[in-house]
Amino acid sequence: MWNSLPGFGTGVLYAVLVAAAYTFAVAVAAGRGQPRLLESARRGAYATAALVALGVAILAYAFVTHDFRVRYVTHYSDRSMPTSYLLTSLWGGQDGSLLWWSFLLSCYTTACVFWLKGKYRQLQPYVIATLMVIMGFFAILMLFAANPFEANVSGARLDGEGLNPLLQNYWMVIHPPCLYTGFVGCSVPFSFAIAALVTGRLDNEWIIAVRKWMLFTWMFLSIGNVLGMAWAYEELGWGGYWAWDPVENAACLPWFAASAYVHSTMIQERRGMLKIWNVVLITITFLLTIFGTFLTRAGLISSVHAFAQSDIGIFFLWFMALIAATSIGLIVWRLPQLRSRGQIEAVLSREAAFVVNNWLLMGIASFILVATIFPRISEWLWNETITVGPPFFNRWIAPLGLMLLFLMGLGPLFGWRKTSGVSLRRAFAFPTSVAAVVAVLHLSFGRKLGFPALVPEDAFYPGIAGIILQKIGSVAPLATITLVAFNFAVIAQEFFRGTSARRKKYGDEGVFTALFHTVEKSRRRYGGYIVHIGVGLMFMGFCGRAWEIEHEATLSPGQVHQIGEYTLTYRGPRMEVDPAKRMIFADLDVERDGKSLGRVSPARFIYTKGSQPTTEIGLLRGFRDDLYMVVGNMDPQTKKATLRFHVNPLVSWVWVGVLVLLSGAGVSLWPEVKLREVGVWGLVRASVGAATSVMFAIMLSASSARATTGQERAPSTRPSFGATDPRPLDFTPVVALGVGAAVAGTSLFRRRTPRPR
Amino acid sequence: MIDSRRLLALAPAWGVPLVVATALVVGAFCGLAPALLTLASGALLGAVTLLWSSLGRLTGESPLTLEEAVGLGAPSPEEERKRSILRALKDLEYERSVGKISEEDFAELSVRYRAEAKELLRALEEELAPRRHEAEARLALRLKKDASGSAGKKKKSLRSKNAAKTRPEGRRTGAAVTAEEWTDGTATAEAVAAETADTDADASREALPADAPRPTCPACDTPNDADARFCKRCGATLGAPATEAK
Repeated sequence: MWNSLPGFGTGVLYAVLVAAAYTFAVAVAAGRGQPRLLESARRGAYATAALVALGVAILAYAFVTHDFRVRYVTHYSDRSMPTSYLLTSLWGGQDGSLLWWSFLLSCYTTACVFWLKGKYRQLQPYVIATLMVIMGFFAILMLFAANPFEANVSGARLDGEGLNPLLQNYWMVIHPPCLYTGFVGCSVPFSFAIAALVTGRLDNEWIIAVRKWMLFTWMFLSIGNVLGMAWAYEELGWGGYWAWDPVENAACLPWFAASAYVHSTMIQERRGMLKIWNVVLITITFLLTIFGTFLTRAGLISSVHAFAQSDIGIFFLWFMALIAATSIGLIVWRLPQLRSRGQIEAVLSREAAFVVNNWLLMGIASFILVATIFPRISEWLWNETITVGPPFFNRWIAPLGLMLLFLMGLGPLFGWRKTSGVSLRRAFAFPTSVAAVVAVLHLSFGRKLGFPALVPEDAFYPGIAGIILQKIGSVAPLATITLVAFNFAVIAQEFFRGTSARRKKYGDEGVFTALFHTVEKSRRRYGGYIVHIGVGLMFMGFCGRAWEIEHEATLSPGQVHQIGEYTLTYRGPRMEVDPAKRMIFADLDVERDGKSLGRVSPARFIYTKGSQPTTEIGLLRGFRDDLYMVVGNMDPQTKKATLRFHVNPLVSWVWVGVLVLLSGAGVSLWPEVKLREVGVWGLVRASVGAATSVMFAIMLSASSARATTGQERAPSTRPSFGATDPRPLDFTPVVALGVGAAVAGTSLFRRRTPRPR
Repeated sequence: MIDSRRLLALAPAWGVPLVVATALVVGAFCGLAPALLTLASGALLGAVTLLWSSLGRLTGESPLTLEEAVGLGAPSPEEERKRSILRALKDLEYERSVGKISEEDFAELSVRYRAEAKELLRALEEELAPRRHEAEARLALRLKKDASGSAGKKKKSLRSKNAAKTRPEGRRTGAAVTAEEWTDGTATAEAVAAETADTDADASREALPADAPRPTCPACDTPNDADARFCKRCGATLGAPATEAK
């Protein structure tokens, strides 16, 4: 059997297609209310998932055994690669990433079908059917356009071409799976929306069913995007973490739609309103995940992800058209049932604030979408390619982001239905005072501390729009810091009010006990507030861009360069060689206020199998700012080096903000199970799981910190996971996270079912 | 004899951990490639087993388990609205407790929500009334049947007592308690426990008056059912149930 591995793998893909089609048919038939057929469909779904797992295991086997009869293995691996990178090559190229996508979808399908046991009996058949349609699409795609098991026409080669050096990076190992987990996760809420539309059960049932699935998906979209930012920051040498690359933009679009949905769903749950909007939002979120993949694969717009381009875009286009047509058709069919029962009674109400927040989030998403595909739009309309660059995005996103930040603070201050003037005054007094004090302090001491409240901005456009954007850009740092303070004060006040109310009710509780029980009783609400703190911290990090310093200099050995508070002494070039590449470092000693911070060595790597040399940055991290260095050219004769230096203030707060955001999402996702129900061992397992996950978070931070502290001993400032380190990847933390999450999950989701009497 | 269909139905539950454990062992001793082959074999076997059992369900060859067959019922839109209103009331009370809403607004909205909830509860009550009557009638029939069955059981125990008289070794542990022993109070605690366990729970409930005292757990103060022997929350022993006290 293993003598024809490509043939066997292709056969498995055919089996996936057949199993998905069979399960779809049985599930649709089960929709008439026959439990026998439903059970059959459930098992069919599990079988389809098992077949996809088989496909992944076969491809992984092919990579590990260097089976160069398989074209995909030849293109994305070679014999010199360590096993860890051989396994990550599974999603390193297009064909494998589609199989990986199917695998994640099969994991979601298994989890969803298992979870659905005995629940949502009427929705269940159509949820399974929709998931099978998506699975079928990916099977067709692999079979007819991007088969990861396709054999080399010329037979087996002696060695492969190797993985793109840009992808041989720690962040790249975990970024695609996390982002895919977020992307693929949108399939489950979408399937529920379709099931609700087909069955006509459009009240809160499906909204409640998808609540945690959507939060989980949203969490992974956040993680995936941030890991992409970290990868771009450390690997691409842009000087920053976000450059409005088309694929970066496409990846963040579903995040905006999902964020809008997470808020608007609360209105439907409490007020029975926005039913159409919620169905539309779910559909848009799912469509945007497919659009993201389409943009990456179709090569519609030039991008840093050019390595992933191919001609399968047309398949995605047809699939998107099918999804859109089906969803629109179903929505129109169910329009009478989708009409709202209630209406917004007052402008000063939480639902009104959420609606405006939704408009804004979707407005930002639409703006990014249109600007991203503008080169193609302009080509179609005016036969001229007009590219929209980062300055355009930065100017326009600033005011929109500030509005979002303001609304984020405003929402929690309002009550549902309406808020009286007295309550509003009471609610606003503290946050407004804090914001005012912070604004005054920033204006007074900001410049002295190196963070001036107002920064001069150049006019970007002529005319009024240009002037307005220029003014907004100038005051953006002050406005951001003030609004972040406003948000923090609002959240502190919410926690204080909740805790005080509880202590008033249960007089004997201490402050921390009351705080714990307040959060425990209303995890979704307070988890959401913690997410807001994380977003506030991220905004603070984004705002740091206003104080960024950038220099470019050509230095001779021994020459000194000053940037901000840093004094850099260039010591000269250094070359190291390993079997895969030549590494040319530029060694620089860094001092701040006369105190040595160590040696930083930005580099250029020239791979034996790569066409382009890669840029390896030098980085010194700090909570105040990052010193970021990129080497351009080095003259071997004169030993002169052309270097680009950046001082990036507050960047670390972006990463800290993400960790806070994730912990908030974790609080919201924590299952509502009483400890008595799970027993003592359940509690122990959950604690172990939670501790492992926290350790993973610390490890993520520590891997960055290592870059800062390891200057003296390491020739390069890159984290030790990257291509500079000949050791294979250390998977222990990732495995630990998996084990921890699994342990926490199983312990808390396993409930004791009462034995029949 | 082991029911092969049942074994097949349970295969995914023990198959996945078994395959993963085997792959880990193989990986530890023979390397990654054989471990991947083990996983692949497990996945293939799993897929075939699952498809086979799916086809079995489809063709009706494999019967559904009770659990699989139960519960096509799902909450009606009225029930969902009721939940939504109850949740809104909870929110309203929270907002009042943290001072986000004035007393007047709270009173007005609370009255409106309660009126809506009342209306829904009435509608639900009306919708459920015929089914409830039907369920009660069936329950009464069942209890009647059980009561007559229980009487028959006691007659049987009486016969077994007479038979026991002929046995010199006396009563074995867990032997049935006779009607006489019940009435004259000579039954041992062991025998009473065994008998109580044997007796159908519904029949014991029938013997309980409606106002039977509900024992409170000495450990956690949880009120329990009148016939409970152990606390439903913490599992502590509750002392003699109402039936035995009587």
